[in-house]
Amino acid sequence: METLFWLLVLLPWIFAFLVAIIRDKNFSILISTINFLLMAPIAFWFFFKAPLPTFIETPHWLDGLMLLYDFLLLFYFVHQGIKYKHKLIYLLAFAQIFLLLWNVWIMPHSQTPNIYIDKLSAFMFLIVSFIGSLIVIFANQYMADEDEKKVAPFVALLLWFLGVMNYAVAVNNLEWFFALFETTTLASYLLIRFRKDAMSIRNALLALWMNQIGGVAILISLLFFIHYYGVYHFTDILNIGATVLSIIPLAFLVISALVKGAQIPFHKWLLGAMVAPTPVSAILHSATMVKIAPYLILRLSPAITGTLLSKLLIITTGFVFVVAALFALKEVYFKKILAYSTISLLALMMLAGAIGTPIAVAAAAILMLFHAISKALLFLEAGVIEKLYHAKTIYDIKCLINKAPITVLFILFGLLSMTMVPFAMFIAKWFTLSEVAGLLNRAAHVITIVMLAIGGVSLTSLYLKVLGVIVTHNEEDVKVKFEKIPAAYFIPNFLYVLAAFFGTLFIAPLIQKVFNPIVIHVLGVSLPVKMGTLDLVVGNLVIPFWVIALALAFVTIVPLIAYRIRLKADRVPEYLCGETIPVRVGTYSLECLDKVTPYVEYIALALIILTLIFGGGMI
Amino acid sequence: MAWILKTIAFLSPIIGGFIYGFERIVRARMQNRQGPPLLQPFYDFVKLLQKRPIQVHSFHSMMGIAFFFATWFALSAFLCGPNILVGLFLHILAMAFFIIGGFSVLSPYSVMGSLREIVHLMAVEPLLILLAVGLFLVTGTWSVEEMFKYPGIPLVYLPLVFIAFVLAIPAILKKSPFDISEAHQEIIGGPEVDYSGFFYEAIYTAKWIEYVFVFAIVFLFTGANWWLGLALSLIVFIFVNALDNSTCRTTFHQMIKFAWFFLLPLAALNIFVLALWRYVL
Repeated sequence: METLFWLLVLLPWIFAFLVAIIRDKNFSILISTINFLLMAPIAFWFFFKAPLPTFIETPHWLDGLMLLYDFLLLFYFVHQGIKYKHKLIYLLAFAQIFLLLWNVWIMPHSQTPNIYIDKLSAFMFLIVSFIGSLIVIFANQYMADEDEKKVAPFVALLLWFLGVMNYAVAVNNLEWFFALFETTTLASYLLIRFRKDAMSIRNALLALWMNQIGGVAILISLLFFIHYYGVYHFTDILNIGATVLSIIPLAFLVISALVKGAQIPFHKWLLGAMVAPTPVSAILHSATMVKIAPYLILRLSPAITGTLLSKLLIITTGFVFVVAALFALKEVYFKKILAYSTISLLALMMLAGAIGTPIAVAAAAILMLFHAISKALLFLEAGVIEKLYHAKTIYDIKCLINKAPITVLFILFGLLSMTMVPFAMFIAKWFTLSEVAGLLNRAAHVITIVMLAIGGVSLTSLYLKVLGVIVTHNEEDVKVKFEKIPAAYFIPNFLYVLAAFFGTLFIAPLIQKVFNPIVIHVLGVSLPVKMGTLDLVVGNLVIPFWVIALALAFVTIVPLIAYRIRLKADRVPEYLCGETIPVRVGTYSLECLDKVTPYVEYIALALIILTLIFGGGMI
Repeated sequence: MAWILKTIAFLSPIIGGFIYGFERIVRARMQNRQGPPLLQPFYDFVKLLQKRPIQVHSFHSMMGIAFFFATWFALSAFLCGPNILVGLFLHILAMAFFIIGGFSVLSPYSVMGSLREIVHLMAVEPLLILLAVGLFLVTGTWSVEEMFKYPGIPLVYLPLVFIAFVLAIPAILKKSPFDISEAHQEIIGGPEVDYSGFFYEAIYTAKWIEYVFVFAIVFLFTGANWWLGLALSLIVFIFVNALDNSTCRTTFHQMIKFAWFFLLPLAALNIFVLALWRYVL
């Protein structure tokens, strides 16, 4: 068990090291594949077979090593800040050094082991090891198409990131969590600036300073925990008991989650990340980095449920959910649309986590998994169309439908799987909505419902708009010929499509076998789920299997048939009112939103400050 | 009970056809005309079937057919399924076929109509979700069948939600003042413009099913009191047609502003007060 855990962390690091020193394209793709084939079964074993939850003792020298590493990391940040003359970076880094010193000064000795693995951690292992490792395989081919010399360093960085992520979701010690939180910041910094042009460096620096705010928040919360309670392990913190626990340190942890989760007004770093090579966006958006945010909220959800903090967090994230979805409507760049929808959906995940009832927690976990799958698919396809066809906007994709049908069909599937009935993401949204409706005896939750409804429908119209623009065409006599895609491009995407499809079809067993154990480990209570049936029955929320299967057939198979079939009917040109000029089709973009953007950011910031001050009970 | 709903779901194209035929008579009488016979929609149906099938391209025609079946499926899941929200979202799925179909041809009228259809979704769907939540709050169940067994009258608890819904019906059924996506005088039927013959048939019939959908929701407001429901439906029916006859088309800005900043707060206020009342008592 212990060995396997360390394998999960160290294997990617060893592989990264190997790739970095051997520097051969074929070797790196081989190693990435081996990495997937090893990591996936181990993660699988952890989730389904390992006796969880479990503590893992760590040797004493590791404490010292982590501390040393912390300081080295922070001094590296200071160095980068000074090198690029970026005040915020070195000031924040100095602030962290100061706070860390203070923490170390007052930190008592604790007997609690530093590693704690429960189903939630194992679930994150699954996401990182399956979805993340596939992205790494893809990244080999992507970089090889760009510059063969860069393959090795790029893949090494990504592999190392996976190991870091596995480590981060298993630590129990808050100080170690800080170290790994900042390590993911470092990883995103290095990945975003990978191309080393002016734009990349600027956006990387943006990501660096913004994420450091999260680090500062964690350290402040650590300080409070140590000062008031003398504990600094997640399990100890949750054992204190909600009534005794002061909410201030939790509020700071929540702020760090909001920063990591790129919530408005901290969203700019995630948008900036799109200048990096596309696999970077894929890995940041789906399997790693931003997923720390909902993970942290889920970890804390037993402690914050029902407090003012959780209510304010619900309002804040609900606001971001709506606004980010609306902002996405004004974009035409495919990656930017995806980025905004990530921000929006992360807000939804945190909202569900903050509600903290069993069904809401299950909804958050479902969203985490299926959002990771769909986003990985969409970003990798964005990479494919960018590399092979130089398409960046949704209008470029439209022209591809005859040239690259498989790629475009995968994109369409990805977009549908983000929103439509009966995909798992929809089921999670529906869970959240119903759960909030069940809480309506607190009358103010009606605001949450309005936000969920507007945000959800905005996302739906966003995807419909993009879908619509992509399918616009008028020639039919073109012979549909499936394009040849490199295997490293095709296989990961195909696996994602399969995962989203079958995950949705068998959502009921999945909830019984996967999400229910997670809920039990997070909250200590079970979902009101009916076992051993294909019908989805969770409390009073029911969808029979025939509805799921039929709706899934409507969403996926019917369009596919419609695309392939040729009806026997005479053809006429479309109605143009007698005009003969060529028609170019566009779509609306809500540019009117540009006017309100600054206000929206101020409101979001105000809400976050409110969450911190009132939610933290500082007054 | 369950079998009545199943029958309604199964026969919804025919029931919807009758509603549509009746509507044409009522509308004509409001305009001092004689109007067509009640069975006119079905005569049209037969006439359209006999026409030579022509199409722009197969994908477009298939989307029209899929729209019909998906709407029928959505209504069945709405009436017979265990969750009202799922039924509403399946209705969005059906609309998606219509919208994608409209987008798939290179005609500005069709594409413009589809874009406006999306705006319709944005305007109406949040309200329908609030409506479902309100009904859940009153009846304590998500199942439409159970809601029809509710002994009380939900209308008493949800008057503002009901008003908001009635004012949104024109946007759902594409009637003036919110017939923005069809807008015959400016975009010639919007997404419908390029369907003809048999394929137009599918769209035409799917719209009848939407009538059943809307009036089923009206019936929900009276719980188990079906006669009251019938009376209420009749009033709503006359009102919507009178509105259709007496107003002119708004722009889509006006529609979305009306829906988001008037109807939605109205419904939310109702639910807020209801929840507060429950909480206090």
